[in-house]
Amino acid sequence: MEKFYKGVYIHTPFCLQKCLYCDFPSYANYGAEVQHSYIDALCKELANVNKLEQTFFAESGLTNPLTIAENATIYFGGGTPTILDIAAITKVVEVLKANNIWQNPAEATIEANPGTVDLDKLKKLRELGFDRISFGVQSLQDNELKALGRIHTAAEALEAIKLAKQAGFERINADLMYGIIGQTKESFAKTLKAILEENLEHLSVYGLIVEEGTPFYDMLERDALALPEENETLEMYELTQRLLPEYGYNRYEISNYAKPGGESRHNLVYWRYLPYLAFGAGACSFNGAARKTNSLDVTEYITSPLETAILEKLSLDIQKEEYIFMGLRAAEGIDLLDAKKRYNLDVEKEYKEELEDFLKEEYLVIKHGRMALTEKGMRFGNQIFEKFIKI
Amino acid sequence: MKENNIRNFSIIAHIDHGKSTLADRLIEYTGTLSKREMEAQILDSMDLERERGITIKAQAVRSMYKARNGEEYMLNFIDTPGHVDFTYEVSRALAACEGALLVIDATQGIEAQTLANVFLALDNDLEIIPVINKVDLPSADPEHVKKEIEDVIGIDASEAVLTSAKTGLGIEDVLEAIVAKVPPPQGDINEPLKALVFDSKFDAYKGVMLYVRVYEGKIKRGMRIKMMATEAVYEVTEVGVFKPNLTNVDVLEPGQVGFFAAAIKNVQDARVGDTVTEADRPTPEPLAGYRKATPMVFCGLYPVDNSDYDNLRDALEKLQLNDAALVFEPETSVALGFGFRCGFLGLLHMDVIKERLEREYNLALITTAPNVIYQVFLTNGEMEMVDNPSNFPDPSNIAHVEEPFVNATVIVPKDYVGAVMELSQEKRGEYSNMTYLDETRVMIHYSLPLSEIIYDYFDRLKSATRGYASLDYELAGYKESKLVKVDILLNGDPVDALSAIAHRDKAQYRGRQLVEKLRGLIPRQMFEIPIQAAIGNKVIARETVRAMRKDVLAKCYGGDISRKRKLLEKQKEGKKRMKQVGSVELPQEAFMAILKMD
Repeated sequence: MEKFYKGVYIHTPFCLQKCLYCDFPSYANYGAEVQHSYIDALCKELANVNKLEQTFFAESGLTNPLTIAENATIYFGGGTPTILDIAAITKVVEVLKANNIWQNPAEATIEANPGTVDLDKLKKLRELGFDRISFGVQSLQDNELKALGRIHTAAEALEAIKLAKQAGFERINADLMYGIIGQTKESFAKTLKAILEENLEHLSVYGLIVEEGTPFYDMLERDALALPEENETLEMYELTQRLLPEYGYNRYEISNYAKPGGESRHNLVYWRYLPYLAFGAGACSFNGAARKTNSLDVTEYITSPLETAILEKLSLDIQKEEYIFMGLRAAEGIDLLDAKKRYNLDVEKEYKEELEDFLKEEYLVIKHGRMALTEKGMRFGNQIFEKFIKI
Repeated sequence: MKENNIRNFSIIAHIDHGKSTLADRLIEYTGTLSKREMEAQILDSMDLERERGITIKAQAVRSMYKARNGEEYMLNFIDTPGHVDFTYEVSRALAACEGALLVIDATQGIEAQTLANVFLALDNDLEIIPVINKVDLPSADPEHVKKEIEDVIGIDASEAVLTSAKTGLGIEDVLEAIVAKVPPPQGDINEPLKALVFDSKFDAYKGVMLYVRVYEGKIKRGMRIKMMATEAVYEVTEVGVFKPNLTNVDVLEPGQVGFFAAAIKNVQDARVGDTVTEADRPTPEPLAGYRKATPMVFCGLYPVDNSDYDNLRDALEKLQLNDAALVFEPETSVALGFGFRCGFLGLLHMDVIKERLEREYNLALITTAPNVIYQVFLTNGEMEMVDNPSNFPDPSNIAHVEEPFVNATVIVPKDYVGAVMELSQEKRGEYSNMTYLDETRVMIHYSLPLSEIIYDYFDRLKSATRGYASLDYELAGYKESKLVKVDILLNGDPVDALSAIAHRDKAQYRGRQLVEKLRGLIPRQMFEIPIQAAIGNKVIARETVRAMRKDVLAKCYGGDISRKRKLLEKQKEGKKRMKQVGSVELPQEAFMAILKMD
């Protein structure tokens, strides 16, 4: 069993405006007062980290509590963490440090909406110790941003990146999206090229997925969502695969690209299926044997931040499956020896039948003791992951 | 209870003419069940029957009624299905009665199915009491319906009872008419037992429960009885009646309807239609019994999960218990593995069986497209009965092929005569004759291939006549047809379970339709899938399911792996209902595609 939490996630469930495609736990209808109460609740949860761990490990059936690794990564995600004023963020960081959650992190990331930062705030974030910033850029065409329900323009996004560099952020990520309403392969190429000129060390490029419960989903049901043709979307995907390596980016996960050394260390914790702690409404922690998820309901969380979590114990079979499908998302894939050590799982034997076809058709490759998706396999990730799940 | 005060009756009606509602009212009126126990249409006890608003199995209920003459009567009501598929069930129920209520919708008049059932009742010498229902509706025209009854059926309708089962109007009049007109059963309690088995049910604790109508003698607990067809002897362990819940009584006497159990484990020993008598004092002659039901429609039933094969067989055996019309025998398909070729009375029967297997026995099934039995005459002089298209002999060995035809009766407003004829012509029908029921309605007779009826004739008829047409048909023997086998190839390999028999002139069109339909049904997979239709070696149509281009999950926030997992599980669950045929995953609907054209 793992002894350390390798990553720490802090959730801010607020946004200025909810994007039309978003189904993350984030709300645009809470004012400053609720946000303050939320920070208080969050700090209370953080201050009780040890007490909470006592219940977590015991209820998960583990023999010992886990400790937070000294270099555990820090990740402020959302929602929009930068919607909070700097005082609020400072308060949270201080509580993190005071409770030895934030010690000497391998990486401290904060997500930011380009419409919510200025130079002063960025500088202060840098001073607080954040060394990585991740911008939700999505597109650099204003009509597309509008179609997504984003609050910022293309110019504002580029400006925010410039300011972040100025504030001393060397590790910057931009999230981009393809398959947006009104997007063409030409407009996407323009966005890509513009962002490549920024020479960031990390890019996340996602295909738009219309999730149930979002305004886009309703529009799609009503046939009122004019998504680009499949072929066009596919060309955008292919352009990404072609162009990014030319600019020195490695595809180290299905949707993530980085210059050497620029990989998101925090996200690797998830893909390697290592333990992480998470705080805030809707936040989900994992200790290797169970997950606990706080209530998505902000009011409920504020009222009792220590008591809303629901524990889900993970059977060994589920752990094995998740280990595989999370691991396969990353280009490095799964270390077969590690699988044996952690789960006594002989992947090649256990999934002999499934693997045979995938290896033959070159969706998967086994090399140097690791099993990984090929480029072709990455396209059909879901079809492949599914085969490793038993229901 | 004196025999004189017993009345056994059933209700016959066209679908939706209010039979079940009327039955409910009668039960309610006689206080057989309290208001609280009444659940709308209690007789349709299967979920399936309630949902579809149809009666599938015959049911029986005993009520006590104090008539206006001050005497108390025992009314045994045997409910019957109204659909053409279940004519067989109707004839069984009718044989156990002395009278029948003929329920006709006052706004609709006589329909094709009404006629068929009335003639069955007349064949059984039943006293028929016309009941004109739904008289509360503004468009009701009872006088017109009375005239129609007299003109078309030829029975006196002057004393027809007017009712509204919905509002409760005329219910007492119906009960009085039953008492006054339905003859009491005849029979001597001192004679050796003679009882007709009209239905049966399997109970895990009690064994086979036999539903009987007693003609002579009596049935009591502890008595040794003999099944006349099989000569099997049992001791009666339980006797009861339907109120409509099973209620134990001491004895069943002549004229009474009820059930008994006798620890009968072997279904074959308790055949519906058999006569029950006393083991030590048998009656010399059995009752007439029933004509055997002939399955007309066949399809393959296969478990999605091959390991369910034995469960499927057990389930079919259980259903067959009280459904003699269901036949099945094991068969194998290259594409689908081990399954059963099953024979049904018709499409509804097939649907019902399939749904019951899925619901009551929790089986995931693949049904192949239904077909009729072909008589294939070979060049060597032999004749083969082919109930599965994939067994259709090689064309070079075939001298000629015959297929079953039916005599179809369509009743329709006269404005739609043209539409009905056009459709029937297209369906290879031969016109027989046409009669006017009155100034506005026409009865048309056609000879049609049964295969066209099970294909889409009824649906097309309904839409061509805006739902006004009613249809009934009976088997009328075999006739020669120019038929060929259309094969379907996926990825170049023939899929036996998708083969179909079609008329030569329509084969090309059907082949094209079928591949187009399949293209829409087969989900894109990681590779391209060519779909071809072929007659012999000649490809007559081709379509392609393009390869899936990409399928990956979006990002997840934080470490929310549960959500990802659920998505993958949902995806996998969807595929559970698919059948792997070669390298292609086929949804269940694909096997029925040939039926759902246009």
